[in-house]
Amino acid sequence: MNAPASPSPVPSPIKGEGQLALLSVLDASVVFTARKGLFAAARVRALDGVSLHLDKGESLSVVGESGSGKTTLARVVLGLQRPAQGQVAYEGKDIGRASEGQLKEFRRRAQGIFQDPFSSLDPYMTVGQIVEEPLVIHHVGSPAQRVDKVRQALEEVRLTPVSEIAPKFTHQLSGGQRQRVAIARALVLEPELIVADEPVSMVDASSRAEILYLMRELQERHGTAFLYITHDIATAYHFSQRIAVMYLGRIVETGPTRQVIGNPLHPYTQALLQAVPEPDPANRFRRRGMLAGEPPSPANPPAGCRFHPRCPYAFEGCDRDDPHLLEVTQGQEAACRLWKGLTAGARLTERAPGSAGEGDDRKPPS
Amino acid sequence: MNPRDIARVVLSTGSGRVGAVFLAALALVSLFVLVRFPLDFGSTRWNNPAVWADNPKAAAPAWTRLWAGDGAVGHAVFEAAQPSTRGLLGEGEQRDYVFTYDYTGGKLPTFMALAVSDVRFTSRPPVLTLAVRRPDGRVLTLSQTVVRGPRPGEPPPYLRHQDAPLRISLSGDPEALASVKEFLAQEYRVNLAAEALQGKVADAVFGAPSEGSPGQFQPLPGVYVFTLQEVAGSPSDATGSVKLVLGGSVYGVMGTDALGRDLALGLLFGFPVALAIGIATSLFATAIGAALGILSGYLAGKTDLAIQRLSDIWSNVPLLPILIFLIFILGQKLWLVVVIMILFGWPGLTIVVRSMVLQIRSGQLVEATQALGASKGRIMFRHLLFQIAPFLFAQMIFFTPGAILAEAGLSFLGLGDPSIPTWGQILESGFRTGAVYVGYWWWVLPPGLLIVATAMTFVLLTLGLEPVVNPRLRENR
Repeated sequence: MNAPASPSPVPSPIKGEGQLALLSVLDASVVFTARKGLFAAARVRALDGVSLHLDKGESLSVVGESGSGKTTLARVVLGLQRPAQGQVAYEGKDIGRASEGQLKEFRRRAQGIFQDPFSSLDPYMTVGQIVEEPLVIHHVGSPAQRVDKVRQALEEVRLTPVSEIAPKFTHQLSGGQRQRVAIARALVLEPELIVADEPVSMVDASSRAEILYLMRELQERHGTAFLYITHDIATAYHFSQRIAVMYLGRIVETGPTRQVIGNPLHPYTQALLQAVPEPDPANRFRRRGMLAGEPPSPANPPAGCRFHPRCPYAFEGCDRDDPHLLEVTQGQEAACRLWKGLTAGARLTERAPGSAGEGDDRKPPS
Repeated sequence: MNPRDIARVVLSTGSGRVGAVFLAALALVSLFVLVRFPLDFGSTRWNNPAVWADNPKAAAPAWTRLWAGDGAVGHAVFEAAQPSTRGLLGEGEQRDYVFTYDYTGGKLPTFMALAVSDVRFTSRPPVLTLAVRRPDGRVLTLSQTVVRGPRPGEPPPYLRHQDAPLRISLSGDPEALASVKEFLAQEYRVNLAAEALQGKVADAVFGAPSEGSPGQFQPLPGVYVFTLQEVAGSPSDATGSVKLVLGGSVYGVMGTDALGRDLALGLLFGFPVALAIGIATSLFATAIGAALGILSGYLAGKTDLAIQRLSDIWSNVPLLPILIFLIFILGQKLWLVVVIMILFGWPGLTIVVRSMVLQIRSGQLVEATQALGASKGRIMFRHLLFQIAPFLFAQMIFFTPGAILAEAGLSFLGLGDPSIPTWGQILESGFRTGAVYVGYWWWVLPPGLLIVATAMTFVLLTLGLEPVVNPRLRENR
């Protein structure tokens, strides 16, 4: 891969209003090479031709199970991982090929919140130092102004009284408090984009809702664009305007959150929604629909549609023909051959809907 | 973990407490030596035989008398700047320096010496006569000395023995021998050949000849009054000071070596030297090792490859032969030993630090900091360095005894810096002169034990620091 010295202008997807998207990812792929024995090398496509876009002030959830490449997507968007192919454009500038200096400027405007509040904060710094660090790195303000900004940021994430919290070390805080420190650190530069990579998956259930509400409130107040990455489709429902579902390095379905959740088009999205537990005693004797098998290894993805070995609707051709995202209904896209009218041919799987332990309430693709 | 926490954890273990007490003692003694000793102690005093001329050779420490029970005699030095009496004598002046010595018996003093310094005269050089009145009333005139007169063409006043005193070793002085021989013949009617009396002037002064065995003397306890009579040519002539030394068979706190050097002073001077060698070496070797390890682990790629292969090669160079080789070529200098130990001390640490950094850099801390836009330097030396700092601190202390032992080993091989006495050098001189085989334990054991105790101090501190590096060992108190 020979990266050009300066980022080339990227043809960004143009929104309906003719506005340049804040962030657009175009056909991005990330390949990891793992040494396998002395000579062989396994090539893993953690991200395989992913495209998405995000407007100013918009929030987009990326949902997927472990190994679907959603964290890799977050790293690519934050410029921590350069894509092997494709482009990641921030306001039309390709950050996947940007120089260190250009990346630094980008990083002033885009911030990350990470999964583990126990390891993403330096244990040798006080809360005040942690929140001040982005200001120091980007030479923002005088020391007195910085202290002021730090205080504001900590107040915004409700870590009060600030004078008591700021001199503390992170090990003196609870998991939820730490994640709020991380949010304050992301906020202090007043970024245009925040990439939150599973920000609540390692936080106690009791603090989870609080953090999510806080993030939504901040998003609405500051008009910050959010890329919210999660494995929990339920939190995505509450948090974001749009949703993208990933499976094995690809986006299999995308669309407005309400539409996707209300009417999932891809069999994988349907399965994910089925897996959400509903605390209703009436459900206690119901077998829940579960996907058969494990996700295949991304080092050796199945031919054709990547989901077909586990898909309850797979039929002939799904093991050869690789479907691409197709707009099925207004604004909602799915990568499934069912929506291409290619349903002729023999069923590939013996697992008919309802026969592999699924519940009887599985929606047939309508 | 802040320094106060580290101190608390170290002090919560027994080994940490003992180590801390030892370290405090080392530091206090070193401080005392730095304040009280001249920095050129090694060249101007330790290795200058004139300084030690009046000390008994290879004498055991004085406190051995407590349990030896062989009546060892202590070292006695009489010094006076002013005469006890003075009186006019013709044109000149007679000055008497009187020293009273209460001899308690036991062993006979090992030697006698007289020293005069800072003599100034205008016409006639002063004449010095030493006489002793023994407890039995007998008076023995030991020697008569004349300070060297004016050289032709030398203008008065004549200054003599300003730098080095005029020293008369009475035990070997032919004139003293002759007067003792005459004294014995007159008083005891014992006729001994001069050869039989060689080195026995002190014996004859402080004893009476044995009846049975000629040439042997029985100690004669009692009060001895030494009178040094100085006849000056003029009352304005002056003498700075006079000194009479009665050599003991034991000396000082730590005894002396074969050259009469006070081992207590040499051992004391070894404290700051050992500490300086250990701390300088470990500090710089740890700094280099940590910096290269962080660079190697974080920058990865070719930098990593270069640093790691270099440290692989470097760490396989055997240190002691290289030290011996380079010191033969470049000279016996202590700073050279330290520099070589620093240059060859970092590779092991670099490899370990790199592996630690590899682990940390794949964690979210580094990722999160990168996402903030932090520079590589800031990530490496503001974040990574702090994560491994407790380990580095422990490593530094662990490295210290190695450096002290390496220097002691080199000194023991005779490659020490002659201008700076160290414990290793004292040990080496003891072995070279065969002190071990004749039982001069006070010469060999203390430096050896001090080397061990100093190394032990740092090992104990490392043990105490282990809970800091490995929190699972921390006791909850």
